[in-house]
Amino acid sequence: MKITICIGSSCHLKGSREIVMTLQRLISEKNLDNKVELSGSFCMGECKRGVSVRIDGSEEIFSVRPETAQQFFHQEVLGRLE
Amino acid sequence: MSVSVDVAWKSLNKHHEELCGDKVELLKTVTSNIAILADGMGSGVKANILATLTSKILRTMFLNGSPIEDAVETIANTLPVCKEREVAYSTFSVLQIFHNGDAYLVEFDNPSCVFIRDGKIVDIPFEKRIIEGKEIREYRFHVQLNDCFVLMSDGVIYAGVGELLNFGWTWDSMAEYTLKCTKDTLSAKRLAAMLSKACDDLYMQKPGDDTTVCVTRVIDRKVLRIFTGPPESKDDDKRLMADFMSGEGKRAVCGGTSANIAARYLDKPIETELNYSNPDVPPTATIEGLDLVTEGVLTLSRTLQLLKQYLSDDVDMDFFLALDEDNGASRLAKLIIEDCTDLYLFVGKAMNMAHQNPNLPFDLSIRMNLVEQIKDAAQKMNKNVILKYY
Repeated sequence: MKITICIGSSCHLKGSREIVMTLQRLISEKNLDNKVELSGSFCMGECKRGVSVRIDGSEEIFSVRPETAQQFFHQEVLGRLE
Repeated sequence: MSVSVDVAWKSLNKHHEELCGDKVELLKTVTSNIAILADGMGSGVKANILATLTSKILRTMFLNGSPIEDAVETIANTLPVCKEREVAYSTFSVLQIFHNGDAYLVEFDNPSCVFIRDGKIVDIPFEKRIIEGKEIREYRFHVQLNDCFVLMSDGVIYAGVGELLNFGWTWDSMAEYTLKCTKDTLSAKRLAAMLSKACDDLYMQKPGDDTTVCVTRVIDRKVLRIFTGPPESKDDDKRLMADFMSGEGKRAVCGGTSANIAARYLDKPIETELNYSNPDVPPTATIEGLDLVTEGVLTLSRTLQLLKQYLSDDVDMDFFLALDEDNGASRLAKLIIEDCTDLYLFVGKAMNMAHQNPNLPFDLSIRMNLVEQIKDAAQKMNKNVILKYY
């Protein structure tokens, strides 16, 4: 699974970095380094809803905030892996 | 051959002194660049006055085309006589490099200029002349690309004397260190900062004398092209990219949408990284065929901050450590400062609607303002800047 986080200007200000760090921590805690890959992307064009996050290049863009990163991980990432 | 030079200097004041007894003057004439370094006798106010008078007289007379004899005579007759020593005295070095590659160096009692060519310390033959009872060394030669010259006051070769080192740094060791540093550095300012730092360390941060280095490097014309901001009209994307990609030089793209335009035009993917070496600067990306791809406004703000810091008087090695950091803003600033004589800016005027958001903790709608300020900063560094809006 590949999770792409928008690191454009607007999303950067809204906390892309915290989200990346949270996801990195959760991925290594659950020993999922071989299964989940994190990557960045410049502006996804959804600045208003940022931080924009995409899974496996699908059309759907998730709107994640640093506070909701953990919840996103459990629902969307773990949910899909099971 | 049209010769460009990169010149910078740095002084350390003698410990406890507010004024420096060394003085550097850099000037440009229509046909040449001139660096003057004068070292006034003693320290503090007296030395400062002697060195200032000497460098200003040399400056004025050189600018008006007077021969060196007249300049030395004028200095000898003008300097106030020191009561304790009953002499009027300031040593000096003058290096003049003409645009056609001819060079003229004259030294009066300063340590010899360190001259580095092709990775070696080179001796240039000189002639001795006696003017007004003073022995002057004169050198006439032709410069080559990447030649490096270091003028210095004697505080440099005596650095550490009687403390860390019995005889101080000595000319030979200093020249060897300079040779080593020229291999690791690009800009004159960085080399000056390194040499000055070495002196300061040898003096254990308490210089026993005013200590000054003045570095001149012969450089090639280097073009840097920066594309930032999408054009107002999408129809202009191709025209901008064609202009941006034509000609020589390194190429940087700053901005997410700009990067997308570039990737589409070049038909190459954008590989984004997640390297947060500086939490304030978003990660960079790579596109085959481009030298640097960064986020836009936040990166440019930090770059501008570095450029302004570089222009402030006191640049030390800490600044260069920040410049060497692996983030988009430092890499861009380093390209502008150390790897560019000609800066071409290709700037789109489109507004990003998502940036018109008062809830964000930073005003993102300031691209053009930043670009203008970057242009001003680069011009203050004597770079040729061409700015084109789309």
